[in-house]
Amino acid sequence: MIAHQPALIKRELWEHRSIYVTPAAIAVIVTLGVLAMLMLASGFAKELDVAIFGAQNVAGEAERRAVLTGFFVGTSWVFLVALMFLTVFYSLDSLYAERKDKSILFWRSMPATDAETVISKLLTAAIVIPVITAVGIWATHLVNLIVTSLWVSAKGGDAGVLIWGSVSILDNWIAALIVVVASGIWMSPFIAWFLFVSTWAKRMPILMAFMPPIVLGLLEWIVFRTQYFLTTIGERGDMTPLFHSMSLERFFEEEQWRDGVENISLLQHMDLVGFVTDPGFWSGLLVCGILTTAAIYVRRYRDDS
Amino acid sequence: MTSLVKARSVSKNFGAVRAVDNVSFEIEKGKILGLIGPNGAGKTTLLKAVLGLTDCEGDLSVLGLDPFKQRKKLMQNICFIADVAVLPRWIKVSQLLDYVEAIHPNFSRSRAEELLLQTSVRSGAKVKELSKGMVTQLHLSIIMAIDAKLLVLDEPTLGLDILFRKEFYANLLNDYFDEERTILITTHQVEEIENLLTDIMFINDGRILLDSSMDALSDTYVEVLASGEGAQKARGLGPIAESEMFGKSIMLFEGVSREHLDGLGELRIPSVADLFVAKIKEARR
Repeated sequence: MIAHQPALIKRELWEHRSIYVTPAAIAVIVTLGVLAMLMLASGFAKELDVAIFGAQNVAGEAERRAVLTGFFVGTSWVFLVALMFLTVFYSLDSLYAERKDKSILFWRSMPATDAETVISKLLTAAIVIPVITAVGIWATHLVNLIVTSLWVSAKGGDAGVLIWGSVSILDNWIAALIVVVASGIWMSPFIAWFLFVSTWAKRMPILMAFMPPIVLGLLEWIVFRTQYFLTTIGERGDMTPLFHSMSLERFFEEEQWRDGVENISLLQHMDLVGFVTDPGFWSGLLVCGILTTAAIYVRRYRDDS
Repeated sequence: MTSLVKARSVSKNFGAVRAVDNVSFEIEKGKILGLIGPNGAGKTTLLKAVLGLTDCEGDLSVLGLDPFKQRKKLMQNICFIADVAVLPRWIKVSQLLDYVEAIHPNFSRSRAEELLLQTSVRSGAKVKELSKGMVTQLHLSIIMAIDAKLLVLDEPTLGLDILFRKEFYANLLNDYFDEERTILITTHQVEEIENLLTDIMFINDGRILLDSSMDALSDTYVEVLASGEGAQKARGLGPIAESEMFGKSIMLFEGVSREHLDGLGELRIPSVADLFVAKIKEARR
């Protein structure tokens, strides 16, 4: 079961190049955006140039940290949004495309079980894509810190203090990795649902994936005048257990930043124990297990070739 | 002789349709068996049951394994080409070799590369860039580099031109087949493979109409080309099929000795295609 996973996951990366092309494209776009911003800023007065990333004379250390952390969190957010779309489209395509082009007959002529194959796709969606996204986030941060450092140095600023000394890079990077991997695990019931639809739908898996929940939600509202079903699905999306103690609004309030260095740590706002002990974590894994088993069953028993 | 495949009362239903109907047969080691039948006869369903790709009723054992329950183990010793079009179009040849090497314990990459060198398929090419004939060469090179006991071919040369078809079977016989290996093949182009078959099985409406070795076939079936009084006498012996050509009657006999037919006309061994048509017509009467 485990021995074949590296080869099976490598196959997924060969087939779905968007898994690494998308983060690379975002990295390039973000970097070009930062370069454009720096060039635009160069058109203003020197004070403004340096103030953008916080010169000691113009802006305080707290504001500088806020700007840089905001940049880190903002770029990570762009990657997270892309991760969401990437995961949905990958999961819906992964078991559908092989039936559409009939290559399933070739894959099944190899000594790899249906369970191994479906699990490799689940692992790709829930773990591999998030990890590649994290690498994309790290690379983007690193490249942009270097670019900004060069710009600040060219303007006569001390990049070592103004840029590298103003943000906890390791803290941000570990936080980014935890957030993307935790989001993959937290969203695994949805991923497993998409995989199930991917192996079950005869056509238009995207429609088959989203129509049933919408119809169920509407039926619940028509019959009971309640919205528990759609609310439950919607609430699943906010990763609450990982950030139990964190309010996004308060996080960026100026007072928070003035309290001291500790408050800037994203890691400190995370509650990993709360995340893995949350009933939602385990119920999610249970639903993921049930739907993955259903996907394996359908791939094994389905015969439309 | 060792039987690699043993089927006893095997059936498969798709809803109300009985695709395979209570068939029993054995395939022995070192044989090349042709499974012949019209469209919708149940050939592919039967092959899928043998390959463990679909479940079925009855007792089916392949290499001593239950094919559906032990498919992974079975696939280590079975290869199959379902159709030339099934290789994923997005994959590169080198990636395909990497994948099979990682997954299949009996695959020899060096052997596959050696075989590919004899073709115009290059390792950097994607499958979608190859012609249908080249895809077949690639698939066959991979299959021939796997040390398998049973090779199953389902319409392997469909859509290929005559040159590729001839080359495909020549490679199979010269570079792959030996007494340790067994091949099960279905095709509509029966006349192209009848000379390489050791055994033959006809299937129609899910039932086996004929299961015989090619040697026994020539003993059991005789074709008589006769006219006039000879044709009259021959007709009296109960041919299973009769047709007319150039004013002569061609009659096919089953289980009638050549001694009885001698002197009635020209005696011939019927072609597999003629025998197949006769058996199908007989079954539909």
